[in-house]
Order: sequence, then C-alpha cells, then structure tokens
Amino acid sequence: MAIPSKTIKVFEELLESPQNRLVEQAVESGRIPIGYSCSFVPEALLMADKLFPLRLHAPGLAGTELADNYLSCFVCSYTRGLLEFAMDGRYDLLKGWVFVPSCAHMQRLYDNLEYLQKPDFNHILDVPRKVNNDTLLWMTEELQMLADKLAHHFGADMSDVSLRKAMEQWNDFASVVQSIGDLRKKPNPPINGAEFHQIVMASLASPKDLILPYILDFKKEIEQREGIKNSRARLMLVGGHLHDPEFIRVIESQGCVVVADRFCTGTIPGFKTIDINNDSPYKILAEYTFAKTLCPRMMEDFDRRLNTIIDTVKEYNADGVVLEIIKFCDLWGVDAMPLVSALRDNGIPVLRLEREYCLGGEGQLRTRVQAFIESMGK
Amino acid sequence: MKLNTVFDNTKNTIMRLPELTKGFLKRSLVGYYFSAPRPREALILTKYWIMNWAAILYWIGQSIVKLGPIGFTRALIKHPWILILLRVNGLSNRVARDKTGVYHDTLCMTVHTVALGVINELRNMLFDAENLVIFEDLVPYDIARGMGLNCYMLELWGIVLPLLVSDASLQYIDEAENSGMNPDACSLPKATVGMVIKGQTPKGIAMVSSNLPCDAGAASYAFIQRAYGNIPTYRLDTPYNFYNERAEQLFAKDVMGMINFLEEHTPNRMDWDRMRKIFEGRNRMLELEMELWEMSRVKPTPLAGAAVWLSHLWHFNVSAGNPTSIRHYEKLVKMARKNLENNIPATKNERYRAILWNPPFLHFSDIFNWAESTYGVVLINDSMTYNHHEPIDTTSPETMIKSWGKTIMQGPMVRHTRGPAENYLDDIFRMVKQFDLDMVWVSNHLGCKGGQAMNGILREQCRAKGIPLLILDYDLSDERIVSHDNMIRQAEFFMENVMKAKRIDQ
Repeated sequence: MAIPSKTIKVFEELLESPQNRLVEQAVESGRIPIGYSCSFVPEALLMADKLFPLRLHAPGLAGTELADNYLSCFVCSYTRGLLEFAMDGRYDLLKGWVFVPSCAHMQRLYDNLEYLQKPDFNHILDVPRKVNNDTLLWMTEELQMLADKLAHHFGADMSDVSLRKAMEQWNDFASVVQSIGDLRKKPNPPINGAEFHQIVMASLASPKDLILPYILDFKKEIEQREGIKNSRARLMLVGGHLHDPEFIRVIESQGCVVVADRFCTGTIPGFKTIDINNDSPYKILAEYTFAKTLCPRMMEDFDRRLNTIIDTVKEYNADGVVLEIIKFCDLWGVDAMPLVSALRDNGIPVLRLEREYCLGGEGQLRTRVQAFIESMGK
Repeated sequence: MKLNTVFDNTKNTIMRLPELTKGFLKRSLVGYYFSAPRPREALILTKYWIMNWAAILYWIGQSIVKLGPIGFTRALIKHPWILILLRVNGLSNRVARDKTGVYHDTLCMTVHTVALGVINELRNMLFDAENLVIFEDLVPYDIARGMGLNCYMLELWGIVLPLLVSDASLQYIDEAENSGMNPDACSLPKATVGMVIKGQTPKGIAMVSSNLPCDAGAASYAFIQRAYGNIPTYRLDTPYNFYNERAEQLFAKDVMGMINFLEEHTPNRMDWDRMRKIFEGRNRMLELEMELWEMSRVKPTPLAGAAVWLSHLWHFNVSAGNPTSIRHYEKLVKMARKNLENNIPATKNERYRAILWNPPFLHFSDIFNWAESTYGVVLINDSMTYNHHEPIDTTSPETMIKSWGKTIMQGPMVRHTRGPAENYLDDIFRMVKQFDLDMVWVSNHLGCKGGQAMNGILREQCRAKGIPLLILDYDLSDERIVSHDNMIRQAEFFMENVMKAKRIDQ
C-alpha cells in the first residue's frame, strides 16, 4: 500500500467538518454556499457567479436523538444525521438549501427542516421519475425556476453566459477527478478506493476552485507512485449515499482494493463532463442531470443501472460487486432484489451489505468482506 | 412421523383449543348467535350470510362450467388464497357484531357488495386470463374500463386477505423477505411481491404502474416487470408539486401516454362515450358520498365505521362509476337519511368522534368495534376515504383526461405522500373542523417512512391546537410486528390517560 501523503491528510482534514476551512475562506470572501443532498441537483448550476455548492454530510455523527423525535428512528440515518446537524447549528454558514424529493426520507427532511429552522432559502427541485420529452421540458423549467429564485434571492448572476462559465468550470474540475479515477483501471492502481473517495468527498464538500490545486498536487504525486500489488481482489462498490471513506478502508483492510464507485457520491457516472452545446443552459443541465444519475427512484432506469454496473465491472476489471444499502432505504432495499439476481445471472459475485450512515460494526463488516473474497476463490 | 411428534402435535392442538374456539365463535354464524343479538339483527345477518354463500356457490358453479372441474381445481391449486375469500362472512360477523338497526344493516350490506366485487374480480382473473391488464392499486381501472379492458389489481389481495383472515398475508411477506426484499419495507408491496414470486398471480399482457404512493411500492415494479418476463409496462409519474396548471398539463399528457400504450399493447380502443358514462357514474358516487359526509357531521352520527371506509375503499378504488357501486351508495345515503330523520344515531354509544389517519388496520379492522363498545369511540371518516376534489369534467375527452388526472393526483395517499407538509397536515385539521372531532388516531404503519417522519410535526401541531392524538404503532399487514393485544393496550392507555375516559362496557 502507498504511504498516505501530506495532500491526502489535507483531504482528511477537510472532511472533519461540514463547514471546513475552505468553506469558511470562501464565505469570508463574500461567496454564498448552497447545501444540497442529492445527485439530481446539478452542481454546475450552483457554481454560477458567487454561489458554490456544498454536498451535505454529517461527519462524526454521534447520535440522532433530536432528529429521531421528528423523523422517527425508521427513517434512514443519513437524513436523520442531516437534521441533527442542522438542529445543532452545524450548517450555520449555509445560505440556502436545495432538496430533491428523491425519496420519502429526503422529502420529509425538507418538511422538517422547513418547520424547525425556516431557512431563508429552501427550495425543492421537482425532478420527474422518468425521462421523456415532456419530463425533460419540465426539468428544464424546474432548473430555470431555481435559477430565477437564486438570482432574485442572492442577486447572483444566473445569465446564460454565467451558467456556461460555471459548466466549463465543472467540466475542468470533473475531468481532473475523473482522470485520477481512471488510474484505477490499471492492473496495479496507484490509488486505493478509500483515498479516492476521500478526494471525491472533500471536493464535493468544498468550493471546487479552492480544492482543485490540492487535487492537482495529489495527481502529480500519485503519478510517481508504484501501483498497489498483490491485492486479493478488485471490487466495485454500488449503492446510495456513502460518505465516510473509512467504510472503504475497512473493506480494503481485507486485502482487496475498491476500483470503481457507483454510488450517489461516487464518480461513476456522477462526474461525467457536461456536453455544452448551443441549447439553453437549463436544457443542457436537465439532460446532463438525467444522464449522470442512476438512482432506483427513476422508474424506467433499471436496465441502464444494471448495464452500467456490468460495463463498469468489465472496464475496471472488478472481481465482484459490493452493494451497500443504508438501513430503511426502500429504493435501494427493494431494487437490490432484482439487481443482485441479475448481476449474479451475469456471473458477477455480489455481496449485499446493510449499514448505517456512520461506520459501525467494523468487525462484522471485515468478516463479511473476508468471506466474500474467499467465496470468490481469491 | 415419530410417535413423540404426533403426541406433541396433538397436545399443542388441544392446548390451542380455547383459542381456536374463541376464534371460531368470533367469526362463525353460530358464534354470532351465541353473542345474543336481537332477532331482527340476527335475521338480517343470516340473510346476508345466505346471500354471500349463494354468490360464492354460483361463482363456483359458473367456474366449473367455464373452466371444467379439472381447470377449476388447477386454478384453486395455483391461487390457493381464493379459499381464504370463502371466509367473507367472518368479516361481516366481526364488523356487524353488537351493532343494531340501520347501522348494522349497512355494515352487512357493505361486506356483501365487497364480496360480490371480489367474485367479479375473480371472474376477470380466471375467465379471461390471457387478456388481463395488470394495474397498480393507486391507478384505478376507470380508463381501462373505458377501453373495455379486463383488469387485475396486483395489490388487491394484499389488502383484502388480511381483512378476512389476519395472518393471511404472512406467507407472502416471508417469501418476499426470503427472496431479498428489505424487511423494513411496507408489508403491502412485500405481500404483493411474495404472491408474484410464488406464482399465485396472473401475468397479463401489459402492466400499468406509477410512482404512487411510496418508494417501496414504486420500486417493487422493477422486480415484478422482470418476474413477468419483461411485460410491457407503462409508469405514470405524478409530480411532487401538483396543485398547479403546469403539473395538471404534464400529468394529462402522461395519462394520454398511458391510453396510447394500452391501445398499442391490447386489441382494445378508447370509447369516449363509455368513458363519459363511467366518469358520470363516478361523479354521482362522489355526490352521494358528500351527502353522506354531510349527514355524518351531525352529532351523534347516523352512519359511521366500516360502512363509510370499507365502502370507499372498495367502490371508489375498484369499481368507481359501476352501476352496482352507485346503487350501493344510493342505498347507504337512503339508510343514513332514515336514521337522521328519525333521530336515530348509528350507535347509542357515541361518546367520542374520531378519524383514522393513514391506511386502516387491515389485519385488525374490527379494532374500532372494540373502541366503540369499550369507550364509545366512533370512527367518522379516514384518510383513505376523505377527499375534496372536484367532479370530473365530462365535456370533452381532453377535459375528462385532465380532470381524471387531477382526481388521481389529489386522491387519498397520493396528495398526502407528495408536496409540502401542508398537504398532509391541513387535511387532518380540516377534517377535525368539518366533522367536529374529539380526537385523531394515526395508524402508524411502521413500514410507512413518509408518515413516520411527519409524526413529530403532527404531534406538536395537535398539542398546539388542543387536539388529542393517538399514534398507534402497527404494521399494515403483519400482525407479528405489533400484536392485536398490544394495539388494544396502546388505545387503552390513550383513552385512560389522555382522554380520562371511562369504560362503558363495565
């Protein structure tokens, strides 16, 4: 294994708080952080002018006693974690929130936040659950309405020129991260899954322009690295929200390496670049949003989801798939049933793990991963 | 089998005899007679008992003629749950017990119409299995019936079976969980998926589902579609914010898409005149239901309980606009009016007026009978029944589609599971005012995450408005999660500690 570098420690430090020093630096310079919690929110839209997007996470969440009173303990621990942090004032730098009714949990998080905190700017983006010409037009209008609201509320420049510039910035940033991710296709990847996820999460939770120099430094560094040799197996991680890189570290402690990440906060296909053409920026972003997300909430996307996983397994030469699902997530919980059997039918070994938002039960996790690797004959 | 096992099994059966006898007495006609009803009520219940059996026997005879004895036996082997439906009289026995007068009669009549409806569904399923179109439960058949299609509601038996026998869905729930479905999902999609896995549902030629009402229900159709060999499927997509013209237009286009899909995948075509008649029938039912509710605002109410909620659950969701359903509502209104004019309450026990929020307690539907006879709690209305949408505009095909779409989007469970919290909360407080209620009961289905996550806000708002609130934990179809005894205890604690109510049965 490669020795953790200085830069990776920076990413580690940036992940210690939802409002890290780069966020503070940006806010001090007059920029406006907008929190969001779902991949259906196009980051590029929130990168326009003085705005910057912050993926909401709850690092080091110790308990959700306050949030449980409102959301109940039968709602996924990610949404409870966000409400707990919000009630605890851990997002007080945020100037606005953008939600998507991606699932019942997120929808009710919005409701409870609205009831308990009454944020000045709290918007819900009505993303359809299937894609056709009508819903694409609807989504385009939704994005335009959000942009108008942002412009009106924050005085942000949401003109076409400003949005095209933001999309180019996103493309520059995403292609750097993706180029690091691509290194994992090598037989001996120079970066492990936990490190890569640290970069991704840190970049989602920081202003992109401020974190980019660190990512470029890190890229130079790993290009000099020797690859990881003698790993027992190459795994692909699939599922919903996964924020804590420690989860991947525990998996990799069993001698395997996670080479591909198809989850909400992963790069496949979340870090695709935007095809900037002559259409309106909103239409471009609407098309892009539908293309870069692979969530079971999309009712007609099962085959695309399945095929993307199968193609990624081939492309990254993965030996098996670990499907991680946060407890009480109905979308992934129900979808896992046909997904697991379809993957197995395609000759791909699958380990299904149910987990909480925060890392727990490490011993059990190690045992299950170890048994999975052994079951693959590795 | 070893002798010891035989001995143990016999011993267990003997030990369970008191419980089995109690169950038998609760469900059977003999048991009903033992409960010492008034002769008039005994006669009425016996009349409906005979009518239900006559309908069942007629259907069995018809099935034997149509399918042949071997075909019918095969159908019973393939769909063993049909045998559970034979116990429909147990339901009327439970819901009508201890009731008197018109209220008693409406309960027997409601169960009878449901029995007839169930038989009709079985006819559709068995006699024309090759041409069935599968529908998800929150997409009513109306449009398909306008096209003259033969329909099958996939979730229907997951709803009906536990109403008849409380543990009827368990084997299907277990099957789904054992096949990898998350155990914390709603037990209705679990039961439906379990039936599909066991091969106890017909396959059909096309399927229509939607994003309603919850994530588990919508997501389960990815599995069902594959289990049915990638059957052509159309999915309706209700927007999150639907109280606006833009959403109505989008959904109307979606409904048109569904009609085009059905025309493409079935031999039938839309008949707008037939469609208009069905919608006019639905409108008539709505009119009658409003009249019924207007009467139930009177204290004490002339009609309540299962006569209201079971009627809506079946007739509006399965056979809206059907002449039989219209007749049923006309009779209900007539009977309620008779009580009202003669100043006769549905029950002389009315002490507290309540609504039930969220789906009814399927496996313990008679809990309100218990609450009524123990504390005088009368169920006036419920969230699955309550609505305030406009009648369907039958002027033209376009208006029909658009206003039917609005009816779906603003229907029970749909408007409560999308849109801002106000969609959920305002209806509750509106009902409290409209029906002059004393309390709100929330059937806190553990698999319903969207509902669970509203309890905190609801609790605080009810406290602020001085509305007593009971959040009764249970699982929709699985009695193992919270037992009937536990549910009764929760209600008792609430009535004694919050309402300071005295029991009226002692």
